[in-house]
Amino acid sequence: MDLTRNDQLLDRLACGYALGTLRHGARRRFECLAREYAVVRRAALTWQARIAGLTELQLPHTPDPRVWLRIERLLQLDHTDPSRRPGMDATDGSVRVARAWWTSLGWWRGATAAGLCATVLAVGVGWTIVGQRSADVARLQAQLRAVPQDAYVAVLQDDKSTASMLVTLDLRHDRLTLQRLSGYREPPDRSLQLWAIPAGGQPRSLGVLDGPAVLQVATTQAAVSDAQVLAVSLEPLGGVPAAGGPTGPVLFSGTLIRKLP
Amino acid sequence: MLQTFDEELTHLLDRVSLRDALAFKQLYELCSPKLFGLAIRVMDNRSWAEEVMQDAFLVIWRTASDYRGSLSPPMAWMGLIVRSRGLDHRRRRARQHGRQTHALDTVVGDSVAADIPSPMDAAQASEQASALHQCLRQLGNRQREVVTLAYVRDLSHSELAAQLQLPLGTIKTWMRRGIEQLRACMARFA
Repeated sequence: MDLTRNDQLLDRLACGYALGTLRHGARRRFECLAREYAVVRRAALTWQARIAGLTELQLPHTPDPRVWLRIERLLQLDHTDPSRRPGMDATDGSVRVARAWWTSLGWWRGATAAGLCATVLAVGVGWTIVGQRSADVARLQAQLRAVPQDAYVAVLQDDKSTASMLVTLDLRHDRLTLQRLSGYREPPDRSLQLWAIPAGGQPRSLGVLDGPAVLQVATTQAAVSDAQVLAVSLEPLGGVPAAGGPTGPVLFSGTLIRKLP
Repeated sequence: MLQTFDEELTHLLDRVSLRDALAFKQLYELCSPKLFGLAIRVMDNRSWAEEVMQDAFLVIWRTASDYRGSLSPPMAWMGLIVRSRGLDHRRRRARQHGRQTHALDTVVGDSVAADIPSPMDAAQASEQASALHQCLRQLGNRQREVVTLAYVRDLSHSELAAQLQLPLGTIKTWMRRGIEQLRACMARFA
């Protein structure tokens, strides 16, 4: 049963994937195929976008005026500190929502569904980076072509879709290389921590980034093999224990793509 | 008409990303009925739906600058936030109370059993959602209901069977038919 050729079967599976009824082993196999084959990835993205339309088609109900009043009140707390950026630490009640959001698994699933996968598309044997300034594209493409076999690549972007980090994985040598591309530097009392996110699973820490522009850490296939997304979060100095997952805002993220042989 | 509404929402979201409180209020006024309707569908409980709305709009306020990068129509982007907050609430409640079903799920069960057409409102839906709306209307009520609930509440076949008090085989059959009908219909729009 060649999924890449059988359009109707592919559509049915992609629809089930988008609805969430494709689960467990079948879901993992579908995601694995989506990582390998552009045609499967396109079907998955198409159906994710289509099915998201269900959120627009439910019967409207007017909420009680108190809902807006509560929203307004919660946001007053935000306005007391105009320098406060979204997601940064604070001690008032409104940030409990933000904290929960950053650490909830729902966000990770939602993020991949909402278009993170669309930010890096593999085209044939080359790579096209969507939304990147043209001056950087040639340099990044040359680096990506130089990636060895049995390798993964991720371009981590910020919320303006600017490429900020390039991650390459060389699993023959169990090595992860992370290269800072933008001028972003974390504050002196913070560290950047790299996470591997499997679809629907707990984020796994791959390590804390220190100063140098190029970082090389030992990593294993097990740590990254089922990861769909890599993300870098802003943590207290030294990072946080892996078991708890990220506690701070995600600054950069990108889809992990296995390079076709 | 549809294009204009999407553009209007997009412009409001742009202003919200610049901390424009008036634009945020206008966005709420335009979108809250649709989003609240969705929240009620996710939570099946009005007061929980209100909490989800509050959470969701705080997220929208904080992340409006992410919207453009999402490549989604504005209502779909906001709808996904509402759904995501709702599912988070459901999971937290399930952990606290040890079960996923709610006593108030009878509303859904009744509508499926009695073959009442599920209400779906395409007013001011994006173009993308309009195609889906056309195809959903052609589905049988049961097929449309299980497809909708599976997505809106992130339910597996077994969870659906438990919540709707129906046999697993029945749910699987309706889902399979619903997906096949959707696929065939949407293929004509492609």
